[in-house]
Amino acid sequence: MGGARTVVPAVVVMAVLGWLVPAVFGSFWLKTFTAAVIYALASLGVGLLYGRLGLVSLANFALRGVGAWVSLRLSLLENHLPIVVNILIGGVVAAVIGTLVGLPALRLRGLYLALVTLMGAGAFFVVINAIGFPEGGTGFSGREGTEALRNAPRPEFAQSDPAFFRFSLLVVGLGFLLVWALLQSKSGRAWAMIRRSEAVAFSAGVNVTLYKTFAFTLAGFLAGVAGGLFAANVGRPGTGDFGAAASILLFALTMSAGSYHLIGAVLAGVLARVLPALFSEWGIPADVANMVFGFLLMVSLTAAPEGAAGEVHRLWERITGKRPSGPDDAGSGGSIAGGAGAGGSSASVEAAS
Amino acid sequence: MIDIQGVTMMFGGVRSLDDLTVGLDGNIVGIVGPNGAGKTTLLNVISGFHTPVAGSVVIAGQNILTMTPYARARWGIRRTFQTEQVVDDISVRANIEVMVDSTRGGGPASDAVDRAIELVGLGAAANRPTRELNAFERRLVELGRAVAGSPRVIMLDEPAAGLSEHETLTLRATLAALPGATGAQLLLIDHDVELIAALCDTTAVLDFGRLIAYGPTNESLNAPAVKDAYLGVATDE
Repeated sequence: MGGARTVVPAVVVMAVLGWLVPAVFGSFWLKTFTAAVIYALASLGVGLLYGRLGLVSLANFALRGVGAWVSLRLSLLENHLPIVVNILIGGVVAAVIGTLVGLPALRLRGLYLALVTLMGAGAFFVVINAIGFPEGGTGFSGREGTEALRNAPRPEFAQSDPAFFRFSLLVVGLGFLLVWALLQSKSGRAWAMIRRSEAVAFSAGVNVTLYKTFAFTLAGFLAGVAGGLFAANVGRPGTGDFGAAASILLFALTMSAGSYHLIGAVLAGVLARVLPALFSEWGIPADVANMVFGFLLMVSLTAAPEGAAGEVHRLWERITGKRPSGPDDAGSGGSIAGGAGAGGSSASVEAAS
Repeated sequence: MIDIQGVTMMFGGVRSLDDLTVGLDGNIVGIVGPNGAGKTTLLNVISGFHTPVAGSVVIAGQNILTMTPYARARWGIRRTFQTEQVVDDISVRANIEVMVDSTRGGGPASDAVDRAIELVGLGAAANRPTRELNAFERRLVELGRAVAGSPRVIMLDEPAAGLSEHETLTLRATLAALPGATGAQLLLIDHDVELIAALCDTTAVLDFGRLIAYGPTNESLNAPAVKDAYLGVATDE
C-alpha cells in the first residue's frame, strides 16, 4: 500500500477545506462543519472497533463527554496549561475509562458487549447530570462559587471560528493519520487477524487481549480528544448532549456511513451535524434527520454492509478499474447478533474432527 | 518429538481423547482416523484451544500445556485450520508477516517473511491482496504463516481437502521440503491415505479418542485394528 498515495491526497484535500470552508461559509455553517469534523474523530474510534475488530461499543459518545469534562475543567483553572495539552489530557483520561469499558470485550461480543457498553454510557449520563459541566468556579466540579459563567477557552492561536475550524481539522487529521498508520503496522495486522477469528489470531501468535484492549484505549483517546474540541467549539457543553441515545446514534451513523473505511467516519460526521443543520435551514423538523438515519441504517444492514463509504469505494475502484477492497466475509458485515455467534464459536474453530 | 502422556479431553460426558499416550517421532507424522476419532481435538489440545482434564504434552523438554495459545504459537507451535483462515483485505505478505511480528521485537523482519513466502512458493503473489488468490494459493498463504519465523512443530489439518490432483502433488512437494528447510516437525492430519503414505515417516491412528496404532506409516496403516476401525468388520483375532 503506497503510503504517500493515500496521505498526500488526504493532506491536500484537508488544506483545501481549511482554506475554502471559512472563505465560503458564514459563522453558523462554519461551526456546523467544525462540529462535523470533531464528530468524525469520535466516529473514527467506533469504526475502528467495529469495522476492524468486529467489536461493538456504545459508550464512545459518553467518552467524548469525559474528554470534554476533563479538558474543560483543566482549561478553567487559573494559570492553566496550554489548551492543546488539556485536550490531550482529556483524551488520555477518556482512554483510561475507555479501556475499563472495553474490559468486558475480552469475554463478550456482539449484543452482550453492546449492552454492557451502553450501560457505561448510561452511567456516565447519570454522573454528568449529578455533577454538571464545570462553569469556571472552584471545587472538583468547577461549579462552586460561580459568579460569571465562563466558556471553554480556545487555544490562543485559534480564537476565531475560522482559525478554530482549521485547528480542529488539523487535530482530527492527525487522529486519522495515527489510525491509518497503525492499520498499516503490526497492530493493524493483529486486528485483522482478530476480526477473522480469535482462534486464528491466537494461532498467529497475536496477544488477543492486548490488541483488543489497545483498540478500546485508542478509541477512547480519540473520543476524548473529540470531546475537548467539542467543548472549545460550543463554549459551554450541556449535560443533555451526552445521553445514551447520542452514543447509540454515533454507532448507528458510523455503521451506516461505513465503519470499515476511514472515510466512513467523515461521512458519519457530515450526516450527524450537517444534515440536521440543512434540514433546519429548509424548515424541516430536526426529528426528520433521525428518521433518515434510521432509514440509512436499515439500508446499510440489508443492502450495503460496508455502508455508504463502502459503496463510494466500490464505485471509485470500478471507475479506476481496480477490484473492490473491503473486509472479508468473517468481518464486520454481519449483524450485531451474528457477531455474538461468531464470537462464541471462534475459540473453538473446528472442535470436531 | 512430541511426547503425549495420558491426555484425556472431555466434552461434557464425551471422551474425545481417552488417556492418549504416544511419542510422536519422525520428521513428518501422520494422524489418521475415522471422523470423530479425535484428530483435530488433539491438534486443538496441542495448540491450546482445548485444555485437557489430564495429561501432559512435552515438546523439546517443555510441558507446553502451561502456555497460553498465542505464547505457544510464538514459541513455535504452529497450525493451519480445516477451513482456510486467511485475511482477505490485506496482502499475502501481511498475512504472513503477522506471525513474524509477534516472534520478533517489531519492525518488518522482512527476511523471515520472504523466506516463508519462498518456502511455500508464493513469491509472485507476495504483494497481492489475498482476496485475489484462488483456494489453493490461500491454503499456501496459511501455510506460509505457519512456517514463518522459527517453527518447532507445524500441524496441518487436512491441508489437501478440496484440492485438485495437480495441486495436491504440488502441496506434497512443498510439505516434503519443510522439515529440512525449517527444522520443524510436521504433524499432518488428512483423509487422503495416499498423501499420508507418501509423506509421513510415522503415523498414529486414532479411533474414538484412543490410539489404535502407531509406528512406521506402512505398518500402522495396515494394522488389523485400523482396518477394523475404518471398515467396521471384526478381524479374526
